[in-house]
Amino acid sequence: MQTTATINAPARTRSALGSLGWIWQVITGAALVPLAGLHMIAQHFMVEGGLRGFDQVQAYLSNPIVWPIELLFLASVVSHALLGVRAVLVDLGPSPRVARLLDTVLVIVGIASVAYGAWLTYAIVSAA
Amino acid sequence: MSLHSTNRARPRKPLQWIDVRNRRTGMWAFALNRVTGLGLVVYLFLHFVMLSQLFVGRAAWDSFVALARSPLVLAFDVVLFAGLIIHGLNGFRVALNGFGLGVRQQKAIFYGLMAVGAVLLAASTVLIFTI
Amino acid sequence: MPKLHVRVQRQRPDTQARYDHFDVEVPDDANVIDVIEACWRQDQNLMYRHACHHASCGTCAVRVDGKEVLPCIVPLAACKPGDMTIEPLRNFPVVGDLVVDVSAFFQRQAAAGMVITRDAEETIDGHPFEPSELLQPDGKLERRHYNRFENCVECGICLSACPTLSATDGFFGPAGLAAVHRAWEKTTDETERAALLDLADREGGVWQCHGAFECSEACPQDFDPAGAIMDLRRALIRRKVGALFGR
Repeated sequence: MQTTATINAPARTRSALGSLGWIWQVITGAALVPLAGLHMIAQHFMVEGGLRGFDQVQAYLSNPIVWPIELLFLASVVSHALLGVRAVLVDLGPSPRVARLLDTVLVIVGIASVAYGAWLTYAIVSAA
Repeated sequence: MSLHSTNRARPRKPLQWIDVRNRRTGMWAFALNRVTGLGLVVYLFLHFVMLSQLFVGRAAWDSFVALARSPLVLAFDVVLFAGLIIHGLNGFRVALNGFGLGVRQQKAIFYGLMAVGAVLLAASTVLIFTI
Repeated sequence: MPKLHVRVQRQRPDTQARYDHFDVEVPDDANVIDVIEACWRQDQNLMYRHACHHASCGTCAVRVDGKEVLPCIVPLAACKPGDMTIEPLRNFPVVGDLVVDVSAFFQRQAAAGMVITRDAEETIDGHPFEPSELLQPDGKLERRHYNRFENCVECGICLSACPTLSATDGFFGPAGLAAVHRAWEKTTDETERAALLDLADREGGVWQCHGAFECSEACPQDFDPAGAIMDLRRALIRRKVGALFGR
């Protein structure tokens, strides 16, 4: 009697991120502690009334130390978030084709999000 | 009934990860991490949409901020902080376990971190409503 | 003799699951398997599976009040009094009532290179067991100087408890990854260790585990599949970081 196994060892076929994906998630997660902490404190607790008005946002982002930190925060939070979304969706067992499509969509969303944030920052700072 | 008839697709329950009935601490931690993570992703992209008001100009942004300073929206900020604190602290546990550290102590680590989280959230809530 | 109201999930492969109710009386020192047998005495169409009655075969695994157990070793005294719900394992196709098809468990073990039959026995396709020195390109191990996964009774409980497996077969699962870990732990051959780590590193490998630890909590042998997965992660991170620094 020949048995036919339907379950195989973990496949190479899908876009395996392997340990890199997880390590990146830990690195960005660790980076988000000070970056998100700073963002939340700066945006919620530093000015009278909590949230910043337009001029206060402009003054804050015009600081040459602040805007690179905010952009680093943006890149970290977007990649961390999208890797998390990927983990949730991969758990639904997509076919290799759908998994590849998913990766492409997530990369596009990630790049577009960071570009949007960078453009917004530039627009606000240059309007000052 | 032939044996072949048993070789059928098993039931798949894509949302079982959220069903924590009769589950233990680690499962609660996982579900909590995922729920807060997904919530934060939704918030992140809503935040991007809200930030587009900065493009519109000073008046648009300032009227949005006036709305955001209302007690109802500030209460939503508490939920946001809760999500960030829970996800961040739980993420620390996940990372620690992934490095092979504290695996046997994962429950105690979870409870300890959530206790720290409760203190942080209480402090944040006071700040959100008093500043 | 305690009286017990028991809800038992009934199902055939081609029917929807329903619950039948049984009122049974069992001795004070009964185990849950005795409760199942008492139900069976009332309805001999009830399908359940058992063999050793002392937790060495792993055959009788079911869920009692939602939790995976081996009913042969769980005393009634450890359950809530009065009523009980008995259901088949999750994440496996139901053969009938409390019996599930656990072949996916064994397929995973085989894919991990873990031999299910002892070397004194013939393999299922009739060939005598021959350890080979080959490591197949697809990652399956043929150098089987280890044969059984010593502590595992192959009950399938860890696969039932795993929340990730509830949605997908793409995840290799706790037992398979623990088997890879056992093989990795056992061998000193660096090529083989590297191949085993590669296997664990793939999509569906250790990184798809979300650390719910339900497998380790449920394991009746107190084996720790989640701990094995975390240990493989540590080894993979160490290897990756080592490679970054040219080691």
